[in-house]
Amino acid sequence: MSPPSKLAISKLRRTFYKDTPNQRIALDSVNLTLQAGDFATVIGGNGAGKSTLLNAVAGEVFVDEGSIHVNGLDVTTLPTHERATWISRVFQDPRIGTASTLSIEENLAVADQRGKIRGLMPGLPRAKKEIYRQRLSSFGLGLESRMDVKVGLLSGGQRQSLSLLMAVLQVPQLLLLDEHTAALDPRTAEIVMEATANVIEQESLTTLMVTHNMHQAIKYGNRLIMMREGQIILDVAGKEKDALTLHDLVEQFHLPHDPQSLAA
Amino acid sequence: MTRNLWRPDMGVIDLFVSLLPVNIIQGLIYALVALGIMIPLRILSFPDLTSEGSFPLGACALAACLELDFSPIGATMVAVFSGALAGMATASIHRWLRINTMLCGIIVLTILFSINVRIMGKPNIALFSHPSVFSLMFGENSVNQYNQILLLGLLVAMVTVLLYFFFQTQAGMAMRAVGASVPMAKAQGIDVARYTSWGLAIGGALTALGASLQAQLQGFADVNLGFGVLINGLAAVILGEALLGNQSIKRQLLAPVVGAFIYFQVIGFVLALGLRPSDLKALTGMFVLITMLVPIVRKTDTGPTVGIRE
Repeated sequence: MSPPSKLAISKLRRTFYKDTPNQRIALDSVNLTLQAGDFATVIGGNGAGKSTLLNAVAGEVFVDEGSIHVNGLDVTTLPTHERATWISRVFQDPRIGTASTLSIEENLAVADQRGKIRGLMPGLPRAKKEIYRQRLSSFGLGLESRMDVKVGLLSGGQRQSLSLLMAVLQVPQLLLLDEHTAALDPRTAEIVMEATANVIEQESLTTLMVTHNMHQAIKYGNRLIMMREGQIILDVAGKEKDALTLHDLVEQFHLPHDPQSLAA
Repeated sequence: MTRNLWRPDMGVIDLFVSLLPVNIIQGLIYALVALGIMIPLRILSFPDLTSEGSFPLGACALAACLELDFSPIGATMVAVFSGALAGMATASIHRWLRINTMLCGIIVLTILFSINVRIMGKPNIALFSHPSVFSLMFGENSVNQYNQILLLGLLVAMVTVLLYFFFQTQAGMAMRAVGASVPMAKAQGIDVARYTSWGLAIGGALTALGASLQAQLQGFADVNLGFGVLINGLAAVILGEALLGNQSIKRQLLAPVVGAFIYFQVIGFVLALGLRPSDLKALTGMFVLITMLVPIVRKTDTGPTVGIRE
């Protein structure tokens, strides 16, 4: 038997403000499967449903219909903190993804317990400190000498890098990246994105990355997914994706919505 | 407890000195209450008003148990447990109804007023005829204020040290993470509702512990004991943080203790100056207002407030 796919989304449906004049279909029968090692980038305009899709997988948004399986396990009705055993996430806002009142090493210690029982054992054992320091030094941020500094004092880029390390410290079945470089200046964004790509490759992580940036979507990952009005309107992989240019993508982006013509 | 210390010819300083032991005792009791207020507010970013109800609850539960001939230690433990339940009630309301944290606290403290009367069967009970943890420890010398200070001081030190170690454990760090960022905590697999509930339970337990000790010292429990508890405790927390800061968990824990201690010395001095006890509420309220105003006037950047919950 082949191993289960890392992420299997089936007929996912979610309507916001149901039965009101503001009713909006955020997810419209979305199907998506990610195999082990897949790195999919998700693009789409505002309100296309890409954030809702990511939040539905994370557990922040519950769906009206359909199912979500992670590594063969049905997580559709599980709350976020229970899904966190298998799923990790880097947020868009650097202030949200890390705990500003905790030190760098304390943040890493909290992340290290993801999916494990938290008891009255020391939260930051001496033996772990050195491990965290080494993992962080590989990011080349120069933070390894400031492990006891409160995270609130770090810059946005530093916090996003830390957040990334926290997401992969316990290797997840699925990594969710929620426009995690959007709040950074272009240069920092590039550094964080390169670090992300390196980690994903080293650990061969299955990744779903939502982005606004079409360059990023083309440059990174082996799959590209475009969403519009709650549906996946483009899903290309491998060589087909490698051949994709920005021009192609912009053209697709502005094409009148007609799923039939794309499927053909 | 002031026991005829006052004479008409006393000066302000003499009066202050004569009030000193009483104020130290009050300060030590309020150190527990201020810790109980600090934990929801600072560690969990959950502004909570329950202490105004869990304080009289602690005193009333203790009184009811003493009337049932519980041992003083047993009665104190029941009081502590009842305070923890009050905190959990507030957390549960917030979890299931998703209303503002302060409103949750107001609902609980209002309900607790009726419960407190029911627990005691009447609005107040005199406890002079019952033994207390102080009489248990010191026998006939229990009225000696220095003995009282010794016992309370040891208790406060013990609680503070225990809390210090707790916040370095896996569970304690998780609780601090909840207060820093709820989305981060959830993404790291932390059950936010459960840790909020435990945090408020610790807060309620400490407040009720303070109340039960005060009731044993003063020899009575009254359903109206809670009035002003929150603002006194908050003033202590803010005063302590102004003096020590709250950058580390050590300072964050010492701030309420030191703040409560100093706050009641200031109160003692103001009383010695001749102000009426009833003036103190306005004074404390204004003190809290002024401390809130300072960062605004100074235009200090208090940093992102993503943590504070509603």
